[in-house]
Amino acid sequence: MTRAMRRPIAAATGALLLAATTAACGGGGDGGDSEGDGTLDVWIMQGTNPDADGFFADVSTAFEEETGATLNVEFVEWGDAHDRFVTSIAGGTTPDVAETGTTWTPEFADAGALASLDEHVEGAGIGDDLVEGLVEAGTYDEQLYGMPWYAGVRSLVYNTEMFEKAGVEPPTTWEELEEAAAGLKEEYPDKIAVAVPGDAEFTVYPWVWGAGGEVATLEGDTWTSGLDSPESQEGLEFWTGLATEGGYSSTGATTWRETDVLDAFAAGDVGMAVMGSWTPGAIVDANADMEGKFAAVPIPGQDGGIAPSVLGGSHLSMFETAEDKDLAFTFIEMMTTGEFAQQWSEQSGYFPGQVSLLDETLESTDPLVAPFARQFVEGGASVPAAPTYGNVQAKLTTSTMMQSILSGDATVAEASKAAAEEMTSVLNGSE
Amino acid sequence: MTQQLTETRLRKTLPRLSRARAATVRPWLLLAPALAVLAVLLLWPLVRVFLFSLQDYGLREITTGELSWIGLENYAEILASPELWTVVLPNTVGFAVLSVVGTVAFGTGVAVLLASLGTFWRTVTSSAIMAAWAMPAVTGTYVWVWIFDADRGVFNDVLMGLGLLDDPTNWFTDRWSFYAIVLLNVIHHGFPFVAVTVLAGLLGVPKEMLEAAEMDGAGAFRRFFSIIVPQLRQVFAVVIILSTIWDFKVFAQVYLMPGGAGSNRSVLNLGVWSYVESFGQNRYGFGSAIAVLLTLLLLAITAVYVRAVLAEEER
Repeated sequence: MTRAMRRPIAAATGALLLAATTAACGGGGDGGDSEGDGTLDVWIMQGTNPDADGFFADVSTAFEEETGATLNVEFVEWGDAHDRFVTSIAGGTTPDVAETGTTWTPEFADAGALASLDEHVEGAGIGDDLVEGLVEAGTYDEQLYGMPWYAGVRSLVYNTEMFEKAGVEPPTTWEELEEAAAGLKEEYPDKIAVAVPGDAEFTVYPWVWGAGGEVATLEGDTWTSGLDSPESQEGLEFWTGLATEGGYSSTGATTWRETDVLDAFAAGDVGMAVMGSWTPGAIVDANADMEGKFAAVPIPGQDGGIAPSVLGGSHLSMFETAEDKDLAFTFIEMMTTGEFAQQWSEQSGYFPGQVSLLDETLESTDPLVAPFARQFVEGGASVPAAPTYGNVQAKLTTSTMMQSILSGDATVAEASKAAAEEMTSVLNGSE
Repeated sequence: MTQQLTETRLRKTLPRLSRARAATVRPWLLLAPALAVLAVLLLWPLVRVFLFSLQDYGLREITTGELSWIGLENYAEILASPELWTVVLPNTVGFAVLSVVGTVAFGTGVAVLLASLGTFWRTVTSSAIMAAWAMPAVTGTYVWVWIFDADRGVFNDVLMGLGLLDDPTNWFTDRWSFYAIVLLNVIHHGFPFVAVTVLAGLLGVPKEMLEAAEMDGAGAFRRFFSIIVPQLRQVFAVVIILSTIWDFKVFAQVYLMPGGAGSNRSVLNLGVWSYVESFGQNRYGFGSAIAVLLTLLLLAITAVYVRAVLAEEER
C-alpha cells in the first residue's frame, strides 16, 4: 500500500519543488530554449496503433514541412497516464498537446490545465464536421476542450459457428436474445451462452439505456443518477437475469473484466458478449482458429432498434502550458482531420472523429466493421460529461452494483438504489 | 587507533569544552551526517504528508497553487466513516493477526527443519524457498488467482474431479474465501524471510546447552520452547514487528484479486480503501491523513511490543 499511496504524494511533492525551481528560472517552459520555430511536445497513448512509430515518422515529416517546427512524440502507457498527467499538471511540465481519454478531458479542464479549443475550431471551420458523441464528451462548461480524434464502440459480438450449430439467429430484440441464449445452452451446456461480466461498466449501460433509463442527468448544477429508475431497473433485471435466472453466464464471470470476456471468447467458450469494435484483431491474435468464426450485430433495444452504447475513445487536448497555441492547433488539426486521421483509423481499427471520414467507413460491408459502424452512428452515447465522472469510475460504483447482483448478495432494486445514491453524491462532489 | 585519532582531533577542535560536555556532544557530532541525510529523505516528506493532511488538497489546488487549510476535517471524516469500522478495520486487523501468526509459525517450522538438515539438502531447500521470496508480489498474486479461477482454475478442477463440487464456485466473491486466498498468498510470500532470519538465530544457539538439556531428559518440544525460544527472543521481536508492519499494509495482493479493487466492498482493507477513497478521487489531503493515522497506529503497536520484550528481558 505505501508504495501505491506514497508515490503520488512523493511525486506531487517532487513536482511542486520542480514547479518552484522552474518558476524561479523565469518560466522558460518545458521545451527549453529552442529557437523561434521550436519543438512541439506531444504525448500519445501506447498500444492503440500497432505501427505508431511509422505513423508518427510520417506525421513528423509533414509537420516539419508545413510549420518548420520539430515534433517530439512521447508514448505513454494507459495504466500510468492518469498519474503522469496529474503530476505534470502539478509541476507545470505538461506537454503542449496530448491524447486524453474521453472521460479525463472534463476532469483536466476542470483543473484548469487545458486550453479551450473553440476559437481555433471556429477559425478552421471544422466545427460542424465532428462526431457528436465525442464533442459532448469533450465539452466542459460549454467550451470544447477535447478535439474528437478517434473512438470505438461496443456491440454484440457472437460466435457464428456456435450459432449455426444451435440453429439460432443473431437477436434483434431482448426476447430473441434470451431465446438465442436458451438455444445455445441446450446445444452447449458446458459453454457460456452469453457472458455477463461483473467488472465491466460499459457493458452494462446499453441495457439501462435500451430500456429507456438514464445513467445520470444534469439539471442546473446538480447531477442525478437514474440507475434506480423503474426503466433502468428493468434493463438491469434483464441483463443480470440472463446470469442469475437463466444460468446462461458463469459464476466466474461475476468478477470478470472485459479482458477476461475477450480471453474466454477467443478460446471459443462464449456464444455472445458485449465487446468493442477494436477487439476482433485481438481475438484473432489470441487464437488464429477464430478467424472468420465470429460476427457482430448492434446491441438490440428492448423491442427492436438499437440500444445506445458508450463511445470510448480519445481526444487531442491542448494544454495551457503550450507556448505557441496556433502551432499546437495546427498539429491537432493535422491529426484529427483528413489524410492522417483516416490513416490512423485504418491502422488502429477505431473510427475517426470526423463525420465526413466516417461516411466512408459506413459504406464498408465487412461483417466486423459494418455493424459497429451502425452502432457508432445510430447508437452512440456518452457517459455523463462531469469532471467527477472519473471519480465514479475509480469507485467502481457500477461494478459494485453488478457484482452484488450477480453473486446474489443483493436484489436489482437494492443494488441499483445504493449505486444511484453513491453515483449522485460522487458526481456532485459531495461525499 | 582510529578512535584515538578522532578523539585527539576533537579535543583540538573543541578546546574550550570541558571533558563532560565533549562526551555528550561527541556522539551527536558523529551522528550528524546520518541524521542530516535521514532528515532530508525521511523527515521532510513526513512533515509534508502531515501538512497535506490538514488541507483539502486536490487536483485544482495543485494546479492553482492555492492552499485551503481545513484543520482536522480529514481526520474527522475518516474516523466518522462507518465503512472504516464495520469492514475496513476488521478486515485489516483480523487479516494482519492471522497472517503474522501464520507467517511466523510456518517460517519457524521451516527454519527448524532447515537447521536439522545436512549442508547439501539445506542449500537445496533454502534455494527453493528463496524462489518464493524472490517472486514479485504481483506475479505471485496472479499465480494464486489463476489457481483459484472459477472456470479454468486448478483448484475447482480438482474438487470437481474428486466429486466434492458439482458446479464451479467463484471463490473471490465471498469475504472469507477471498481472504483465505490472500492469506495463502501472503504467507507463501512472507515465510522465507522469517525462515532465513530464524535459521540464523538457531545456528547461533550453543550446542552444549541443547546437549545438556537432552542429558537431563528434555524432549524435543521442551528443548525448543525452554531453550531455543528464549535465546531467539530478539530475532522473534524483529520478525514479528516487521511482519506486522508489512501485513497491515497489504495492498497489491488484495487490489489485484478479482473484485479486490473496490467492486466487492466487503473485502476492502485499509490499503485499498484509502487508495480508492483518496487517490481514486484525487483527494490527496484525505489520503495523507489516512497515511498519518496508519503510521501512528503502527508506531503504537511497535512501541507496545518493544516495551513488552524489554520488560521481559529485565525480569
